[in-house]
Amino acid sequence: MPKHDAIVIGGGHNGLVCAAYLARAGRKVLVLERRERIGGAAVTEEVFPGFRFSVFSYVVSLLRPEIIRELELPRHGLHILPLESTLTPLPGGDYLAQWNDHDQNRRELARHSLRDAEAYDEFGLMLHQMARAVKPLLAMAPPDPASLSLRELGGLGRLGRYFRSLSKAHFNRLMKLLTMSSADFLDEWFETEALKATKSASGIIGTLAGPRSPGTAYVLLHHYMGELDGVFRAWGFARGGNGSVSAAIAAAARAAGAEIRCSAPVQNVVLRRGSARGVVLENGEEIEAKLVVSGADPRRTFLQLVGEKHLPAEFIESIRRFRFRGASAKVNLALGELPDLTCLPGRGPHLRGAISISPSVAYLERAYDDAKYGEPSREPYMDIVIPSLLDPQMAPPGKHVMSIFVQYAPYQVNGGWTDARRETLGETVVNTLSQYAPNLKKAILYRQVLTPADIERTVGLTEGNIFQGELTLQQMFFLRPVPAWAKYRTPLAGLYQCGAGTHPGGGVMGASGRNAALQILGRA
Amino acid sequence: MLKTTPFHERTAALCASYAWRRWAGYVVASSYELSHEREYHAIRGSAALFDVSPLYKYRVRGKDAARLLDLVVTRSIHELKVGQVAYTPWCDAAGKVLDDGTVARLAENDFRITAAEPNLRWLQDNAMELEVEIEDVSESLAALSLQGPASRAVLGDIELKYFRLAHRQLGGIPVAISRTGYTGDLGYEIWVSPEDALALWDYLIEAGTPYGIVPAGMLALDMARIEAGLMLIEVDYVPAHKALIDSQTSSPYELDLGWTVNLKKERFVGREALALEASRGPQWQFVGLEIDWPSLESLYAEVGLATRLPAAAWRTSVPIYAGNEQAGYATSGGWSPLLKKYIALAHLRSRYTAPGTQLDIEVTVEHRRKRAAARVVKKPFFDPERKRA
Amino acid sequence: MNRAIIIGGGVDALVAAQVLTRAGREVMVIESESAEPDDGWVPPWVLRELRIDDLHLEWPDPWLVIPLPDGGRLELWRDMARSAESIRRLSPRDAEHWPAFCERMARLARFLEAVYAAAPPDPLSPGFALRARRLGRQGLADLLRLLPMPVADLLDDWFETDALKGALGAAGILHLLQGPRSGGTAFRLLHHHISCPPGVFRPPRSNIRGLLRRLPRVELQGTEVLHILVRAGAVAGVVLKDGRELAAPVVVSSADPRRNLLELVEPGWLDPELARALRHVRRRGVAARLRLELDRSPGFSALALAPSLDYLERAYDDAKHGRLSRQPYVEVRCDERHRVEAVVQYTPYGVDCRDLSEKVIALLAEHWGDAQPQQAELSAPHELEKFEGWPEGQPHHAELALDQALWMRPLPELAHYRTPIEGLWLCGPAMHPGAGIAGASGLNCAHAILGR
Repeated sequence: MPKHDAIVIGGGHNGLVCAAYLARAGRKVLVLERRERIGGAAVTEEVFPGFRFSVFSYVVSLLRPEIIRELELPRHGLHILPLESTLTPLPGGDYLAQWNDHDQNRRELARHSLRDAEAYDEFGLMLHQMARAVKPLLAMAPPDPASLSLRELGGLGRLGRYFRSLSKAHFNRLMKLLTMSSADFLDEWFETEALKATKSASGIIGTLAGPRSPGTAYVLLHHYMGELDGVFRAWGFARGGNGSVSAAIAAAARAAGAEIRCSAPVQNVVLRRGSARGVVLENGEEIEAKLVVSGADPRRTFLQLVGEKHLPAEFIESIRRFRFRGASAKVNLALGELPDLTCLPGRGPHLRGAISISPSVAYLERAYDDAKYGEPSREPYMDIVIPSLLDPQMAPPGKHVMSIFVQYAPYQVNGGWTDARRETLGETVVNTLSQYAPNLKKAILYRQVLTPADIERTVGLTEGNIFQGELTLQQMFFLRPVPAWAKYRTPLAGLYQCGAGTHPGGGVMGASGRNAALQILGRA
Repeated sequence: MLKTTPFHERTAALCASYAWRRWAGYVVASSYELSHEREYHAIRGSAALFDVSPLYKYRVRGKDAARLLDLVVTRSIHELKVGQVAYTPWCDAAGKVLDDGTVARLAENDFRITAAEPNLRWLQDNAMELEVEIEDVSESLAALSLQGPASRAVLGDIELKYFRLAHRQLGGIPVAISRTGYTGDLGYEIWVSPEDALALWDYLIEAGTPYGIVPAGMLALDMARIEAGLMLIEVDYVPAHKALIDSQTSSPYELDLGWTVNLKKERFVGREALALEASRGPQWQFVGLEIDWPSLESLYAEVGLATRLPAAAWRTSVPIYAGNEQAGYATSGGWSPLLKKYIALAHLRSRYTAPGTQLDIEVTVEHRRKRAAARVVKKPFFDPERKRA
Repeated sequence: MNRAIIIGGGVDALVAAQVLTRAGREVMVIESESAEPDDGWVPPWVLRELRIDDLHLEWPDPWLVIPLPDGGRLELWRDMARSAESIRRLSPRDAEHWPAFCERMARLARFLEAVYAAAPPDPLSPGFALRARRLGRQGLADLLRLLPMPVADLLDDWFETDALKGALGAAGILHLLQGPRSGGTAFRLLHHHISCPPGVFRPPRSNIRGLLRRLPRVELQGTEVLHILVRAGAVAGVVLKDGRELAAPVVVSSADPRRNLLELVEPGWLDPELARALRHVRRRGVAARLRLELDRSPGFSALALAPSLDYLERAYDDAKHGRLSRQPYVEVRCDERHRVEAVVQYTPYGVDCRDLSEKVIALLAEHWGDAQPQQAELSAPHELEKFEGWPEGQPHHAELALDQALWMRPLPELAHYRTPIEGLWLCGPAMHPGAGIAGASGLNCAHAILGR
């Protein structure tokens, strides 16, 4: 008998969530992480002495509340601090701020457009209703629409009944939201360019598509799905960085009896008579288990860890067609002083929120235009936070860390990513940002630039796609990652998937890991 | 930072209580003195002066101005004479109330509409194919409300009929005065340019001092409007655009505003739904409740306490029962110092709304939930003749 | 009263008029003189209803010629094998994939065709789900995946030849303000494929214009409608431009729905939320039309300047930022009398089109040898709006995008041809299936009126 009931490949947040749920159900679970630390893309590292960064993912909002509750993450150290605002500096020296406080927000929006200030409340209400409509789907293992089995038909029937239970108006709106572009969708609500751009930016994050491309409106909703303490739409910052999210989940898993091994890269999955029976590590060690759950993305799982010769040809064809196309980079800065924004000088509350470089939809589209033809954006969209203002332990006293999410930086860059290209990207980011914060250059003590190629190499996300596969309608729900294999199972008995490459995917959400565990345990 | 009204320099100096509250993004005084009692009694006994500048105000002008307002609100606007004011709600297409306010006809093709919520977008969207200009004058028009039996005298025995508006000068300051208010008493609302706001305040205080004028805050106003049976948005009803679910919305009939719905108008937003509701009768109604004193007293007596009364008007949802069934819920209430009665405004299923119907209201006595007897009564609770005279 | 007034003279309006006439209604058609029914594809089920059995469909053969950068040509023929031969010169791999691609697209198009034969389906009805499942596992997976996809991704899955992908990708973006990398464009490739045999991806021409003229006459009024009269929430008739008032309990309009409900109907009859949604129906024209005559044969009957997906995408980039495409996508047809009609995309509504005619002629001149153009006439979108009644120059009246298709065409509240105003009905290109499927929405609308 193998010593382990289950091996989870990859100690990213989904792998850890899956392991925690399996362990809590009494299974003997072993998590194998390639790197020397757990967390995957949710890690905190002291990149420069005294400066700690959420190196890759940098905010929390999508982490499912049921996971926080069921795994008792606050008891295991999770503490989420609120991000209060979003500031969009504008080229002319003005800005657009979105505040948490209703009156303050209304007043600021009214400065740009009275109509928009009014529409804002209704827009929020509508997204709240849409998020509510989609929420039950997140915890659902997508049924196979083509199957004739009673179980799958039952699942489809339930799905149909659920949609029929929504009001007609809500269903129609949801369908529109699924099929529209975020720019068109926002055009129906607002007239202020900076507001439309900043909101539509959530529709393009992580995807090689512009805000005018249909399908992006859903991604916008996806980013609105975050629930913090039951409040939709709230973003937060994990005290201690996003690594502390992983640490809390890992602590929950260990407390339930799971074993987690770092620096244990898996070479391949061991198959016996068409079933997964364990793994072989790169050092040759073979570990047996009754089943194997892969938290790696679909391409890595099936083409590398399993091997195409063990899988049906159409399945492999579908996996090859599953698109990644990483589109974003990350720049982490260690700062000697806070940035001083031309539009709002000094150390105001606006620095405690997100700063979004998204002055207009056309700006975002231009940024995308560069990327379409294989070049990083000359003027990229950026989403910036300064975690040290919320959590002083992230930087030495008086100093700061700045986290910059940069888009677009296409994985398929002309000529490939080189050191020189990486430095140029860093320069572009700093130069673009300096237009809004002239003191930035002299404030920078250290700079870390992570291209999609770096992300792929470091954490193993194929093509650096932060969602383990593009989050587009044609790669969603039933189709994520492959039609008929969207229920966390694979064509091989004993092999499961639990990464963000499965439904619902994307963000530090954990739903894929939880759904996979529930499938394995037969509880979904 | 919150906004301050054009009267803030004066009101801040007077606000000894430091009790402020938010209203539409502004700060206004809850009460000026340490207790709001004297402010309340001024409303009913002499004259009270309120800063009501945070109200949303829109100017609607042009050839189709009356046509637009007739399309939007439930009352008939084209019949309104110049200088006349009408209170009216307005609805969405499902006939659910979006907001309520007053429409004043300033000239043939010139109206001013007040609202509790921002309504520019709604007005503009309804005006899309009409020849009309809509201007948000919320910030360019300050407003004071002068209420109470002495208010006419304070204004120099002004002659102005109930729900009429006139342009006058007060101490040389050009103002518009409407005989309207939110207290159910004799009273006026005075509309002024923000530059003249402080001068107007000073003038009124000076002119009013011989008559016992008292600057009053929202706590006093809240009690007075309950006595007058006047509902408050977001307290007594949820505007349809803010409702998360359909059951949170209310039609004018359900808010006891059936008298404002003119189904003879060929079209206005919500007409079809309201015509249907009018023929069927509303499922809910908005009524007055009087809580039975002996019943309340006995609940306190059971635990050895004298009856405790709320110090100010409350605005929470409180269940109302008919036997074991929940008949509805009260949304505002309080002890009327004038009537010496504990009164409340409540939404009840229609079958429980006949005056005199005996019901129970939930009260929490010494940490325990109890039920006190209550009776459906006609609104308003207080309706002095001077209001219209 | 038994009268039905039909506004507009397009195929949809005429089909609705015919069906209602045959059901015994007294039908009046009101159309302005300039409008001319198009001569495209009319689905067989519409023809059956009108008892037309001699519709002649015509594709040029090759149905498309794509000039190659090296001076050669890629020719796509009705005969799949012959196309494959032409493709093989560029890529043997693509030639090998061609028949399978054509077969899979044809299967999906057949599904769509069946859906288009009736009023828009209820996506949640078990019947619709069952019908989709009849496609089988692969067909269903293809359908679900393909509908929201960028046509560029679909073509990248199958082919490597730029010219082939350009030619096919163009079918996904014609008359749409999107590029081939935009989501939902693969659906449009299918939509326009419905009228075609497997292996052909351009709609045919037909003799429908002549056939419709031959049908039993209905009363025609050569004027325009100024207002649609509404009384107590129901349609009462129309007021004509010449001042006449015609009473009727039923009015069917093939004008664009926004104009129809917001301009022809007096304000105040629509739910403001619906009016708001109508104002947001996207109907942006993106193509100019160039007509000219050549003094001899240009050596092709259908030609597309769409050398690659990137070329199309760059043309879109310009339009996206409000400019004329510097290198436009041009789709040209030439008839046997050497009359040439070219669609020049992207030409956003309202941009300055001076010199565009010369520029396009210069681009085309490279491909028509010694032929000399005469009487060139370019119509910019705002001119097409004026002369053809296409709002903003958009021939589909409402852009055919996924969120404005099927049960959402043009809006979910209006998709069933009925409007909130009793007796006022909609048909035309903006109604399901619309957008080049001529006559179908007219038929569906008439059936809805007759309660069939």
